[in-house]
Amino acid sequence: MNCEHARTQFVDYWRGALEDSGEFRSHLATCERCRAEAEELRDLWGTLGAIPEEDPSLAMRTRFYDSLREWRRQESHRRQPLWWMRHPAFQAAAAVLILAAGIGTGFALRGRDTSEVSQLRGEVANMRQMVALSLMQQQSATDRLRGVNFAYHAEQSDPQVLSALLTAMNHDPSVNVRLAAVDALRNFNDSPVGRRGVVQALTKQDSPLVQIAILDQIVELHEKSAISNIQFLLSSQTLNPDVRQRAQWALKQLQ
Amino acid sequence: MQAVREGDLGGLAVLFERHHRSLFNYFLHVNGNRDLSEDLVQDVFFRILKYKKTFQPDRSFTAWMYQIARNAHVDSISKRKHEVELGEREFASTNMMDENLKRKQEVALLKRAMARLPLEKRELLVLSRYQNLKYEEIAGILGCDIGAVKVRVYRAVRALGQIYFELAGERAS
Repeated sequence: MNCEHARTQFVDYWRGALEDSGEFRSHLATCERCRAEAEELRDLWGTLGAIPEEDPSLAMRTRFYDSLREWRRQESHRRQPLWWMRHPAFQAAAAVLILAAGIGTGFALRGRDTSEVSQLRGEVANMRQMVALSLMQQQSATDRLRGVNFAYHAEQSDPQVLSALLTAMNHDPSVNVRLAAVDALRNFNDSPVGRRGVVQALTKQDSPLVQIAILDQIVELHEKSAISNIQFLLSSQTLNPDVRQRAQWALKQLQ
Repeated sequence: MQAVREGDLGGLAVLFERHHRSLFNYFLHVNGNRDLSEDLVQDVFFRILKYKKTFQPDRSFTAWMYQIARNAHVDSISKRKHEVELGEREFASTNMMDENLKRKQEVALLKRAMARLPLEKRELLVLSRYQNLKYEEIAGILGCDIGAVKVRVYRAVRALGQIYFELAGERAS
């Protein structure tokens, strides 16, 4: 191996990715110049990796989701119109009809919140739900956790999000994701399906942390229907002592 | 990316959440301007959406994304007519409270050296060191073979070293 070839191997050497390092090492052992350069630049390479990454501003995320929403709106507009809808006569007639219907609806719904703001709010909520559902289907636990967090901030109680959260709470391999899902399900406290899902999950969980989080939530909801599930949990001989203590406390609170 | 290709916009949000920070840092190293870097990150994701059909599933998504990022950067330069010289001041803003003083000085000096490095060398170091891309991926982005990437990365490290040690010498004298 000559010096020129050896030097192109430096980065792999520092990365620990050199497949056949024997020849390279024997070159370094005999060539003082390459050895000195490899040493000197290795420290530099190390320091280069120590430069911390910077965080973009929070506004960047907001701008991105605003633009994505706008893109989606334009896409749906592009798909809709048929040729006859573009005809001026049709558009004029439609405008008159819409105006008449608008006035009529305005009178009928006077006092209700039909403003543009509520429509926009709905769009934001839809976007959050879409992002939450997509993220919760990812391979990476970090992504799924982000998905659960998005679901947590979703304003509307969407049945699809509820179902995804219940699935995450019951089946996600990561304890962190399951815990976050239990927390996010607080948003669905008004839903009987959500409440029942949390109660039933109690005896299915094997992680003490998740069990304790569920017990706390049951007490918070004052969900008396959970009493039999808690008693069943307590009947287990192998129950974690901390969970047992929490379950006994929960039982007292509910009775 | 497959989901985005099939028209699922939620998929783009997933890609954004996964990659926006590294892309932002890539642009920051390349142009040294936070506002411009944020705009370019946004630009990249909407180019992904626009050109989603050109993505080949057998290729690395990351490599494809950085190829788009390079194009976005080049376009931003031509829009501004001339390349903005990187201000060294902009490279000394990072919070390094928990690092010891010596390390802190080394990092600050290295940032200054990076800022003086020609763009193509700086970009190579960002891709290989910060973004940890493989040689094959970088070769795909730059449109050259792996051997050429190895030589160019080595030359970039050496050039950085020369500037760095020069600056360190200036400081010591």
